[in-house]
Amino acid sequence: MFTESRRAAWIVLAIALAGLFAPLLANDRPILARVDGRLTAPALADLPLVGTLFDDPASRLVTWDAPTAWPSGASGRVLLMPPVPYSYRGIRLEDSLRPPSATHPMGTDALGRDLLARVLHGARLSIMVGFGATALALFIGFCIGALAGLRGGLVDLVIVRLLDVVACFPPFILALAFMAALGRTGVGPMVAGIALSRWTSMARYVRGEILRHRGGEIWVSARATGAGGIHLVLRHLLPLLAAPLAVMVSFGVANAIVLESALSFLGFGVNPPAPSWGSILAEARTSLDAAWWPVFFPSAALVTVLASLCSAAERAAGGESRGAPLS
Amino acid sequence: MIAFLARRALSTVPTLVGITILTFAILNLLPTDPIQVWSGGGSYSAEAAEHLRSELRLEQGVAARYASWGFALLRGDLGRSLRDGRTVASVIAGALPWSLLLNLCSVLLIYGVSVPFGLFGASSPGSVADRLGHLILLLLYAVPSFAAALILQQWFAVRLGWLPLHGVSAQGASSVERAWDLARHLALPTACLALSGWAIVARYSRAAFRSLLNREFLAVARAKGLSRLRAYGHVTANAAVPFVTLLATILPGLVGGSVIVEQVFSLPGVGRLYLTSVEARDYPVVLGLTLLSAVLVLAGQLLVDVLYLIVDPRIREGLLGDRGDVH
Repeated sequence: MFTESRRAAWIVLAIALAGLFAPLLANDRPILARVDGRLTAPALADLPLVGTLFDDPASRLVTWDAPTAWPSGASGRVLLMPPVPYSYRGIRLEDSLRPPSATHPMGTDALGRDLLARVLHGARLSIMVGFGATALALFIGFCIGALAGLRGGLVDLVIVRLLDVVACFPPFILALAFMAALGRTGVGPMVAGIALSRWTSMARYVRGEILRHRGGEIWVSARATGAGGIHLVLRHLLPLLAAPLAVMVSFGVANAIVLESALSFLGFGVNPPAPSWGSILAEARTSLDAAWWPVFFPSAALVTVLASLCSAAERAAGGESRGAPLS
Repeated sequence: MIAFLARRALSTVPTLVGITILTFAILNLLPTDPIQVWSGGGSYSAEAAEHLRSELRLEQGVAARYASWGFALLRGDLGRSLRDGRTVASVIAGALPWSLLLNLCSVLLIYGVSVPFGLFGASSPGSVADRLGHLILLLLYAVPSFAAALILQQWFAVRLGWLPLHGVSAQGASSVERAWDLARHLALPTACLALSGWAIVARYSRAAFRSLLNREFLAVARAKGLSRLRAYGHVTANAAVPFVTLLATILPGLVGGSVIVEQVFSLPGVGRLYLTSVEARDYPVVLGLTLLSAVLVLAGQLLVDVLYLIVDPRIREGLLGDRGDVH
């Protein structure tokens, strides 16, 4: 039973890593090259966060896909190309809508961009937003739930009312309203909007568990040794809640990924040409009559990740669904 | 029973007030310049900005604006659309029937398909068909509605040409033909909206039926010569309560989900209206619809409570028993 759950977790991890290292897996710039006699790593410069460390002005002058036509200013030799030698934004209109083949395993989109490269890069955004928004929601939910459970009284009453109110808003609507009020779309508002609509179930659960353990054996013995409320929750209660919370988190990540791709699909997510599985699908709408691959592969990626997350969560929860259904 | 319903309805009043406060807060309290946001990046002339300022009553404080909006709300006045000057109420009233029709059809489809499916799975647990069904449902559950929409459009509208691609119409000589035309237009969106619900209800009904099929009363009834079909009837009646509970889980998802489905299939419902209003920065309509979507979820919870009373005599008697006229 747990092996299957573990396999699903491995799939998600593999896709997350693929997304994180997408610039090394799919790029039209080499991983390793020699420019003007020096070794450089142009593809590494596209990595998130650490990319600036590898930025090399000289290698930016080189047109890597046409080795014979290098400008006289810089000359270079490709030592190692990424396995998918295409960038997510490399438009080649002459290669528009090529069916899957050896050179383009997932085919190309209407602008001739390699779909495998786009799906790989899209994984980065989907996974990043999924985990980021869920981590934020977990943090908010845990703090507020713990506050309600520990303080009780009026604080608890107000927080429970607030939870009732927020839970009435469909997550999708809440995220959209948040972005409308902000007047901005993009990754930041999207993560905030998704977290804003997702923290209530976590808060409710943490509050319920604190109330359940309150006065119990663990609680009393910890109190007797002089533990304060926060210490008690973090040190003694959190480990008890870890497994159920992990289940909620995997459902939460699945939900957040659906929300992210739906928002990107509707044009409220990432800004083009940055790909997200949702925005790749939105672009595929223009070629519905001509090609099946731009619809099939991003959908397949989404379904794989979501089904893995859900089945991992379900099995860990003993076959009983705890999380809210996907919206 | 009337008294109970009245009490239950009254208890939603604080939540309702909370919903209006939160709706207003999301759209008014973020640290952005409202004129900047609602005019589309400040592209308005000074005169138009002044008009918008008076239209949004920005010269008053937030509390005063909330109060005047709230009092107008009590009179049923949601303000006027910034786009065409029609009242928000009439704009929403024009779109609401479509969404209600779509959601009603998909709830019927969800229960119509997944209850028999769950019953079948429960009556032969562990069989190949049961396990295959479980896998298919997990996959269906994991297909986001917009991906499903594209795949269905591509196959049933573009490739096979059986159904219209998008839009609604009810044309034809006779009323039968008009109904048929409408049904053809609603078929794909309804199926899309029903997808995730199918999986949830089927899995749940399978579990509910399975625990019921092992009960003694059923063995006794069968031993006394009750036909299999009649026995299933008894089982279904007993499973009614979990199904009503499920309705409470599905309803909020449908409200959010219909935004995407209505957009993809160009249905003129409230979901599509919401998106176009966010895009057109039509503040009063966004405010009204955000409120409406939360109120609909609350109303759904109320409906579920009422349904409990109807389907389960035990709950009904328990409630009335409090007042001492049954026991």
